[in-house]
Amino acid sequence: MLENLIYGFGVAATFQNLSACFIGALLGTAIGVLPGIGPLATISLLLPLTFGMPSTTAIIMLAGIYYGAQYGGSTTSILMNLPGEVSSVITTLDGYQMAKNGQAGPALAVAAIGSFIAGCVATLVVAIAGPLLTAVALSFGPADYFSLMLLGLIVASVLSEGNVVKSIAMMIAGVGIGLVGTDVQTGQQRFTFDIPELSDGIGFAPMAMGMFGIAEVIRNLEMPEVREALKTRISRLWLTGEEWRRVAAPIARGTTLGTLVGILPGGGAALSSMGAYTLERRVSRNKHLFGKGAIEGVAAPESANNAAAQTSFIPLLTLGIPANAVMALMIGALIIQGIQPGPRMIEAQPDLFWGLIASMWLGNLMLVVINLPLIGMWVRLLKVPYDLMYPAILVFCAIGVYSLNNNNFDVFVTVVFAFLGYLFSKIGCPPAPMLIGFVLGPMMEEHLRRAMLLSRGDPMVFLERPISATLLVLAVIAVAAMAIPSLRKGKEEALHQA
Amino acid sequence: MRFRPDAQDIFAGVMFIAFAALMLYLNFESHPIGTARRMGSGYMPMLAFGLLAALGLAILIGGLFTGPEPIGRFAWRDMALILGATTVFGLSVERLGFVVSISLCILIASLAEKTWKPLRVLGLTLFLLALCWAVFIWYLDIRIRLFPWSH
Repeated sequence: MLENLIYGFGVAATFQNLSACFIGALLGTAIGVLPGIGPLATISLLLPLTFGMPSTTAIIMLAGIYYGAQYGGSTTSILMNLPGEVSSVITTLDGYQMAKNGQAGPALAVAAIGSFIAGCVATLVVAIAGPLLTAVALSFGPADYFSLMLLGLIVASVLSEGNVVKSIAMMIAGVGIGLVGTDVQTGQQRFTFDIPELSDGIGFAPMAMGMFGIAEVIRNLEMPEVREALKTRISRLWLTGEEWRRVAAPIARGTTLGTLVGILPGGGAALSSMGAYTLERRVSRNKHLFGKGAIEGVAAPESANNAAAQTSFIPLLTLGIPANAVMALMIGALIIQGIQPGPRMIEAQPDLFWGLIASMWLGNLMLVVINLPLIGMWVRLLKVPYDLMYPAILVFCAIGVYSLNNNNFDVFVTVVFAFLGYLFSKIGCPPAPMLIGFVLGPMMEEHLRRAMLLSRGDPMVFLERPISATLLVLAVIAVAAMAIPSLRKGKEEALHQA
Repeated sequence: MRFRPDAQDIFAGVMFIAFAALMLYLNFESHPIGTARRMGSGYMPMLAFGLLAALGLAILIGGLFTGPEPIGRFAWRDMALILGATTVFGLSVERLGFVVSISLCILIASLAEKTWKPLRVLGLTLFLLALCWAVFIWYLDIRIRLFPWSH
């Protein structure tokens, strides 16, 4: 493994990849800091920048954008009480209180340090678990794969915010939309209405940019602008000895929890930071301080969400399955690059796998360096008024989408998804499961077909193979669990703690 | 259970059912279903949209009793301006080129702001033109016409 890691550092340390990592982390932070733009929107927005790059460089940059955006989001949460997305809601609870008490510096510092430590550990876990899981995954047959994807989809929907049935419906609708285009097996055109552009299927980038980029703009415009940027000056961007002692255990617990949760399908940053906060509030000696500016309440969730952000790459890199919507974006980017994500990726694309792991570590280091000294610049970015921001988002999405194929059809598809994204938000249908379903749909069809061909049309194959059966049972348990009122309430509470 | 309609769920349920029904109809019209062993191109769509219709029905029925959750107001004006700006970009980019289509897009989008300040919009337009030029034409080197008269 050490050999592989060294190889990875060799890949990541080339000038091109190093600068991609740096630019990604920097841009991710810059855009993630802007209030109202979370990691999903940031990655969708910057997706076109990576299309011309070699695949390893592109994925290194996207990963950099992702954790950069997450870092940026915590800065916004601490200084403005404006979470960009669910995973930073938790940070506002104590982070903003600390800032109000004049402790913005330590709050920002602990977020950065906790994230860095968590990132280092999680990177190691990815390096160890990746090859192991790949070995397991290679023994999977088509039926097992199909069940695994089904489990992934269901858990991701169950854990997303709001009504579970609606989430699952959105996911299935996404699978359905993913079927548009040429059927790989038979070569037949499906739902293309003789439009030549549709024969390659609906574009993944137009969908993501419409639903997460432009729809978000409309949603933000209708909300009155509430901005209470902090007036206090930020001093002492470091921790005192006493603070170090207080945060050591929370960082360790947050890192462990985040690492584990990140691997789960449907896990990821949001769930892990909520879990870590809830855990910390139970076990901490300073329980009474939680919600009033407890440094532990920043350290644990920030460590957890960064660890989870990192380890959620594991299912992506080993199984080709996205654990959450951000990972679905990554898969989309890989597919655009011509790489089929799956268990053969480590073997077929060692540069990509080991290079990405090494770049995660480098990127985390860069983020500490970017974030702490440059905090003044980020604070100024926080003050960019929305009327200057949204035309920029719009224009970037429009040209970005157009530049994919130099075809304005993609722009119109984006408009349709922007409308749908806005409509969905009005009727309580989360858009993230749709994207995951859209990405997984074609793969699921392929595995289903193969499994049924091998079993001569007998659907019992899904229950007869032990791996597949286990996965299906887990999926059923996941759905059934949400039918239990107390568990459902627990989820709602966790998601709406703020 | 008392009848307490939930507008959001009812709308969502009807939307899923309508979409699924349309796709199922198109599917049976034009794609062979095949058998479970040798699936035709219509098999997976049948499964997916069949399931979607069932879920839509479940959401619709559930929505009759879980309310009331009204559908929030639509920001029609903002929506029309934002979607319109993007559409105008798409329509004009090939004929009128990069500079004009981006300016049009920003101009239309900027009308969504309550107080429209001409100089601010002009400044923003110039800034974004420069930024987009740097990113997309200089850095990404996309093939796009700059002005209506260039080729």
